[in-house]
Amino acid sequence: MSHSTAREIGYAFALPRLVARLGGRKVRRAELSRGEAYGVGLLVFGIGCVFAARAILPVVRPLPWQLVIALFMPFAIWIAFLLLYFVNWLIVAFLRRLDLYSGRTNNSFQHFVIISLITFLAFRLAQDESGWLKSLGIFWLGLVGANLFSIVILRILREEDGVGA
Amino acid sequence: MFDLWRRRFAVRGVLWRHYLDFGLTNVPFYLQPVMIFFWTIFFFFLAAPARRAILSNLRVVLPGSSPLLNLGRAWLTLYNFAWAISDAANDRLAQTEFAYEVEGAEFLDQLAAAHGAVLLTAHMGNYDLGAAIFARRFQREIRMVRAPESDEQTAQHLDASLERAGAGAVKVAYNTSSMALPFELLNAIRQGEIVSIQGDRAVEHGSQRAAQLFGQVVRLPDGPFMLAFVTQAPIFPLFIVRTSYHRYKIIARAPIHGLRTERGREPAIEEAMRAWCRTLESVIAAHWSQWFSLVPIFPAR
Repeated sequence: MSHSTAREIGYAFALPRLVARLGGRKVRRAELSRGEAYGVGLLVFGIGCVFAARAILPVVRPLPWQLVIALFMPFAIWIAFLLLYFVNWLIVAFLRRLDLYSGRTNNSFQHFVIISLITFLAFRLAQDESGWLKSLGIFWLGLVGANLFSIVILRILREEDGVGA
Repeated sequence: MFDLWRRRFAVRGVLWRHYLDFGLTNVPFYLQPVMIFFWTIFFFFLAAPARRAILSNLRVVLPGSSPLLNLGRAWLTLYNFAWAISDAANDRLAQTEFAYEVEGAEFLDQLAAAHGAVLLTAHMGNYDLGAAIFARRFQREIRMVRAPESDEQTAQHLDASLERAGAGAVKVAYNTSSMALPFELLNAIRQGEIVSIQGDRAVEHGSQRAAQLFGQVVRLPDGPFMLAFVTQAPIFPLFIVRTSYHRYKIIARAPIHGLRTERGREPAIEEAMRAWCRTLESVIAAHWSQWFSLVPIFPAR
């Protein structure tokens, strides 16, 4: 556990770290960015909601029912996420028993599963006929691609700096 | 059977503390704000007595405020409370990094250098995280006095959490009717330790007296002031409030002294309590959404 002064900049994802570094700012890996936490959280949760609404709302006919379902959709997705965490926790517990997972927390496994799932949903949205759904899907796929690219670039830069991978 | 379920799922039961631990070790950091948002909605309805207590406090702290808007403010207070307990658990379980700034650094340095002092705080911001930060930063032991938890298992869970977060430097004692505690605290201060007490709410059997807060007569604990008077140790008002995501501000205010004079004990204690009330009012007024007094403080109106 460590603490830093309030002015320090830290991002968990590689993309904002690379952007900050290219902008000449001193940055390091830390979960200190409100924009990153709330922004990515809203996108992940939002894509889950949009995908579920896209699948369910067209089969519900009367408009009032559509409104009710749209209203309760975020709560349903919240509960779906709770179930997903639980299933992932069971998988990690099994992996730990086999000595195949040794992280302090299960967050890295949960992160991998959730991002993979949301990327799959975004890929499906990117194939949609609706313009904004397509844009949302492409936006997410672009972010994931740019982040993966940033990981590679940061690793190269770090090696050039002599820090090592 | 129903009673067993009711106790198991009680708001202050240990089940939710265990569930919070589960959440913080299983939910990626970027989904924690979303989860905290929805759990706050859930507890806003489930924890009705706490919600009513916040509303009754808000009516006094923000006089003339709209009852409808106060419902939103009560939700915001619970949302901040959820962040406070989540961050404290995150610190302990995931060793997450937090950034902080200090207001009144000179007073914090005085406290760190003091040979025996009373650290007076409130149910405000993240007092658990604050004690752990202080103990680690200044390598000082803190004896933290807390109001007793209604659930024994929750109390055990909190004790273990605090002692682990403070790397053994935070010792928890409960403010009960026991006569041993005041003597224990007296000895601790005389031996140079820092005793941390929450001074914004009197517990049922604890020593207390009337004081004026926001123009209302309330009962506040007078134990910290008696301890300071007897030992002649300074009282340092200290608060830690959340300013943003994983960012906190430590607010240290000028020390209060209950000096021995020929006037005697009572006027000195009364004066120190008045100074504390003014400090408390200024901090609560500026950070009302982080005053987690989940029981009514002010007389019913």
